[in-house]
Amino acid sequence: MKRNYLGLWSLLAVAFVFFTVLSSFDSIEVAGHSFKSSGIHSAIFAPRDSGEDTLHVSSGLDEECSLPLERPSIPAEVDTAAQTILFIGDSMLEGLSKRLAAYCEANGHKLYTVIWYSSTSERWGKSDRLRDYIRRIKPTFVFVCLGANELFVSRIEEKRSQYVANIISDIGNIPYVWIGPPNWKPDTGINRLVASKAAEGCFFLSDGMSFDRKKDGAHPTSASAALWMDSVVRWMPLHAAHPIRLSVPAVQSGSATRVFVHQPDEK
Amino acid sequence: MLTDVLHNIYSRLLYIENEPMLFSSGTFWALFLVFLPVYSLLKRRMWQMVLFVTAFSFYFYYKSSGMFVFLLFATSVLDWSLSRLMMKTPYIRLRKIYVGISLTASLGILAYFKYANFFLWNISALVQGNFQPLDLILPVGISFYTFQSVSYIIDVYKKRVAPTRTWIEYAFFLSFFPALVAGPIVRADYFLPQIRENRHATTSEVYLGLWLIILGVLKKAVIADYIAQYNDLIFQSPTGYSGFETLMGIIGYTMQIYCDFSGYSDMAIGIAMIMGFRLAQNFNFPYKAGNLTDFWRRWHISLSSWLRDYIYIPLGGNRKGTRRTYINNFATMLIGGLWHGAAWKFVFWGGMHGLGLAVHKASKPYLGRWSDNPVCRAFFWLVTMSFVALLWVFFRADSWGDSWLVVSNVFNDFSLSYFPAFASARMLWLVLMGVIIVAHAMPDGFWDKAGQWFVSSPWWVKLLIFVITVQLVLELRGEDVAPFIYFQF
Repeated sequence: MKRNYLGLWSLLAVAFVFFTVLSSFDSIEVAGHSFKSSGIHSAIFAPRDSGEDTLHVSSGLDEECSLPLERPSIPAEVDTAAQTILFIGDSMLEGLSKRLAAYCEANGHKLYTVIWYSSTSERWGKSDRLRDYIRRIKPTFVFVCLGANELFVSRIEEKRSQYVANIISDIGNIPYVWIGPPNWKPDTGINRLVASKAAEGCFFLSDGMSFDRKKDGAHPTSASAALWMDSVVRWMPLHAAHPIRLSVPAVQSGSATRVFVHQPDEK
Repeated sequence: MLTDVLHNIYSRLLYIENEPMLFSSGTFWALFLVFLPVYSLLKRRMWQMVLFVTAFSFYFYYKSSGMFVFLLFATSVLDWSLSRLMMKTPYIRLRKIYVGISLTASLGILAYFKYANFFLWNISALVQGNFQPLDLILPVGISFYTFQSVSYIIDVYKKRVAPTRTWIEYAFFLSFFPALVAGPIVRADYFLPQIRENRHATTSEVYLGLWLIILGVLKKAVIADYIAQYNDLIFQSPTGYSGFETLMGIIGYTMQIYCDFSGYSDMAIGIAMIMGFRLAQNFNFPYKAGNLTDFWRRWHISLSSWLRDYIYIPLGGNRKGTRRTYINNFATMLIGGLWHGAAWKFVFWGGMHGLGLAVHKASKPYLGRWSDNPVCRAFFWLVTMSFVALLWVFFRADSWGDSWLVVSNVFNDFSLSYFPAFASARMLWLVLMGVIIVAHAMPDGFWDKAGQWFVSSPWWVKLLIFVITVQLVLELRGEDVAPFIYFQF
């Protein structure tokens, strides 16, 4: 190689190796700040997707499910009262909440959305944020969508069990549905973990559903996210512990009563 | 283990729908690590270098746009064949036929993929039909390479440029991967001689190229992508925020689109510079412009100059009287607006800029006398930027209704009392906005000096800066990886 290119090439190569090695660690914390991984290591060395590894579970209407999902034997009665709904979670809410807002507008519910970008069960479970919102908004129903940012965390039961339990404990006696992440690859156990911690009829498994994805390959497109929300709504009367009235709206999307946004770096 | 690794690498090399190859992606970084040594070895052997880079460029396009790579290939074959025929024939009429065929093919393909649904939708609205959109996918970067193809064929027709002797040279020009999918629009008279010149990049140029890539990544993947997270919320729910928050979203989008597009251009120019090729400057601190004419001399320069040379001047430019000059200007900007997308909002955006340019031209004799007064200059700058930012609302919003909601929200619900709460909730957004505004406002020459400092800094300092940049991208990136805004054009 020419000398003028050698310096640049070695610089790019050293940096590439550095980030590859760094991404082989689960997380690196310095002074309380957890550095984000480049994901290069898992992109190169991850085991190939195989049919056996995949959790063959769909949205939970009639198909077989390998996760410990207990469903009510007799569907619960639909609560027809107007609700104050709090919807919390990660960036997946961008797509889901628009469609849920349309349902809320059509059914007389108030919807408060809290999007915390890049958040995980760990971040919510460690902070007081959920408790604060519940105190301020006094919701009568809670939707949670978390897990997409921790699909590939190793030893997840050991690391996240407490935080998932904290979130559910923060919700307390308020009826809720935890919408599982829309897997684009097999997860390392987040779905299994949430399913095991959530009460009966409070976890909607999204893994196994087909999504049209955005350019990042992870987030469902707006149209696909709307269908995802529709699936949750269709699932609720038969399987949710506390179904609420969610008649199909005439419009495709709506606006939440209030949207709260938190950036990834917010504590 | 090895088969898993090979499988993972292989699957990364295949075309993935809706996942174009970004210069700021890990996949491109890894590929560039392979590309660079091979390129370096072949650089002295011109034809082998041309063949290798063209093959890589076609692969790059395949990775971004899949089987549309054959469309690019077909365009290059047709253009080159017709340009050769044009050169050989002595008959003017035949030359006109050849240029007509080429333009019809290039613009026809662009019109089909980009404007067919728009056209049919409008026809359907006129006759109150039940329109079902055609299932069309827009090939990535088609507007950019079509404009390159059109300029080449017209330049050959007008004998401003000699056609390339071989197809591979033309294919190299048309598919040159740094500028292929989102510009800058490369002009044949500027670029073709560089192929045969086959100039080596000096060590300084190589590191200056890296500096431009770092600046581009910081602009695009750190600043634009981060501030976009908030801006998107404003444009998605125009009524969900106060007037103050909405105004911040508008200013945010004004900086976002600049960082996004000029960041991409910086990366493209930087990669080309590393390879020993020069691409013309595409942005020259456009938000420093004191009037709209100056703004268009600084914003997307390769498109502005293309529109000037191939639309405005052929329409008559300013040679046919004042009124005709305004009409030509307006028509050119309408076409420029439509180039950005098949929607009336882009036509409106272009038309309003055309109108603004006409107003500026008309008022020039009266404004000129105050141009030396600093207070007046600041006022003109404020008016220009307000106009530009206002029009970005129409460019960005999903619909007319949303555009008006965003604008009216600023006037109906504005209160500075929101600032403390906004600052505490969006501190990093404000910091990044502050950084880019200060960086943009630095005196001319500051960034040249910064580049020279980077070039002369020790190797480990360069490595450190590169590593910090990559980690910053990782820390601040949103979950939704945003493609370059101009990819869709």
